[in-house]
Amino acid sequence: MTVLVTGSTGFLGTVVVERLLARGVTTIRCLARPSSNAAPLRALASGPYADRVQVTVGNLQSARDAERAVAGADTICHLAAAMRGSPSSVFLDTVVATSRLLDAVASSAVRRLVLVSSLSVYGLADVPVDRLVDEGIGLETHPEWRDVYSHAKLRQELLVHEHIARAALEVVILRPATLYGCGRPLLPARVGLSGCGWLLQFGASHMLPLSHVSNCAEAVALAGTGALPTGAYNVVDDDLPTVDEYVRRYKREVGHLRSIRCPFFAAMLLSGAAERLHVSSKGRFPRVLTPYRTATLWRGHRFDNRKLRQAGWTQLISTRDGLARAFDDRGVRHHVALRRDAHVPEPTATSPAELAPVFSAAVSTRQ
Amino acid sequence: MAVCDREPLMAEQLALRHGIGKWFSDVDAMLDAERPDIVHIATPPPSHLPLATRAICAGCHVFVEKPLTLCHADSQQLVASAIVRNRKLTIGYGFYFDPIARTLRRLIAEGALGEPVHIESVLGYALSGPFGSCVLADDDHWVHRLPGKLAHNLIDHLLNKVAEFMSDRPTVQARACRRADDTHPASHLLNELRVMLFDQDRSAYVTLTSHARPVAHLLTVYGTKRTARLDFEAGTIIWSSPAALPGPLGRLSCIFGDGIQCFREGTQNVLRCVRGDYHTLSGLNFLINAFYESIRNDTPVPVSYHEILKVAAISDAVFAQLGTEHSRVA
Repeated sequence: MTVLVTGSTGFLGTVVVERLLARGVTTIRCLARPSSNAAPLRALASGPYADRVQVTVGNLQSARDAERAVAGADTICHLAAAMRGSPSSVFLDTVVATSRLLDAVASSAVRRLVLVSSLSVYGLADVPVDRLVDEGIGLETHPEWRDVYSHAKLRQELLVHEHIARAALEVVILRPATLYGCGRPLLPARVGLSGCGWLLQFGASHMLPLSHVSNCAEAVALAGTGALPTGAYNVVDDDLPTVDEYVRRYKREVGHLRSIRCPFFAAMLLSGAAERLHVSSKGRFPRVLTPYRTATLWRGHRFDNRKLRQAGWTQLISTRDGLARAFDDRGVRHHVALRRDAHVPEPTATSPAELAPVFSAAVSTRQ
Repeated sequence: MAVCDREPLMAEQLALRHGIGKWFSDVDAMLDAERPDIVHIATPPPSHLPLATRAICAGCHVFVEKPLTLCHADSQQLVASAIVRNRKLTIGYGFYFDPIARTLRRLIAEGALGEPVHIESVLGYALSGPFGSCVLADDDHWVHRLPGKLAHNLIDHLLNKVAEFMSDRPTVQARACRRADDTHPASHLLNELRVMLFDQDRSAYVTLTSHARPVAHLLTVYGTKRTARLDFEAGTIIWSSPAALPGPLGRLSCIFGDGIQCFREGTQNVLRCVRGDYHTLSGLNFLINAFYESIRNDTPVPVSYHEILKVAAISDAVFAQLGTEHSRVA
């Protein structure tokens, strides 16, 4: 079985490769962009997992590279996406890249595609806050009113839906919550707006939808090895903290942070004023906040992960431990500890001690 | 209004994000269906000449992003095409129309500077910025295929601000260098470029740098009466005049004079900010409005074709001699 992993050098990708190895996948082809730091993967491919890990350098915006990467693969775990950058570069790296990949899939023997999407594809502005957000909630109908990342992720998912209609392909769509873990910023957008040691905290008592990178990677590995039936799944951890609990813990365990709590109605008023300023300045004041985005992101919707759990997924690392390690993260020792505590089944060919330093190095480069 | 991109997904996202009803992936289909009055061309430079020519042939006025084309001969061809078909053509020299650049031009015309003696144009470029990081991340990026790489995409911003002070045939000396500590794989991008232009009684230095910090965008014009220092990032003009007082008093008065000017410029920029005009693209807004006005009123275009072609000729001379000896513009 050959699994192609796109975005394999990224925050999630490196852990997905690890989880696929742990699940016994015989051949993992890691697609890395020419500019990416593929050294940790190359170390794997030339060392302990030489017979199981391949590193292919290419850019998914190139049809030729996409065809080359897909050739001979049975399953694709498609993680590649742009988190930031100009709108055009986010669309190029996320949507156009997916389009090229799907074109290549159409003329290949690929049987299963796992797309890592996002919870941000849901259209929640008009969904009552007491409605549990499961996979049946409709997708966003006004992506242009959202941020570029959400817009691109939705278009990416719609592309895959269009492709399903044309091709006989098993498709699993995973919609992760905000990923956290070693090397990731600790104040995600769902907490509020942060900068210069200040946090404008939106909301207090609603649950913060989070997913530890290892837990999300486990879901991807399950889907990639055929253990998840086709369909869409929310990937959200259990026992989540409220925004207040998260911020309090951040202050206690990470360091000093001055925060201003902004209740939802005040956030809506602020967003309305910011949007009016954006319009009156003819776009010169950036569209930082809009009432639509605020209603979608900070109203306090809760996300349902029962479908994923019923399919066999369990958290590798508890939210309490995950947060403790993320807050106390200094790189190497936590990643090693994470593996030890998670009781990950190791591949038989190599000991955990051989694998851990490689990924620790990958993590440390992102500090 | 309609947008066009060869990649339909990119055309679609642009249209959706800006509330534009129609998008196309074929320029001829767009020109046939929409019959636009004006076409803005913001594609990679190698496509400027064929796309602009097609638009002009379809009866459109054309706004082309810089550089106009890849070389002086192509630019001449495009300008000639616009003249023959009686269409208007301009180029995205946004900083040339920045409020401080317009103010400087007005004051020079009023004689505030005296005769310009020497001009220095400096442009810093952060390769870690949104565009720079895209270029670095993609070995197949169109910037890598330009004859002058990254410098080719940026040099117009530097040259258009000095070309107006120079003759049509300045002597050009150009050097591109790579810093010893520059180990970035994209250092072949020509991200450190120096150009010297000489006329009989005037000179100009042009500096493109991606290493100097803070990232600066400056123009200094040394005149026979005074010197003007323009900071395009801050949006300020500071004038240096000969000291009116003798000795240390004169030197001190210069410092306090600079401070007073900084305070005055800062206050004016606060007012610009309130008016929504304190923006790095203020000049581009002005240019677009001026171009549209020139079409409505059938008046001359905001950037003369002579200036556009002068910049193209100097640019040709720069890229022709990188690694060779200095030459005179043909």
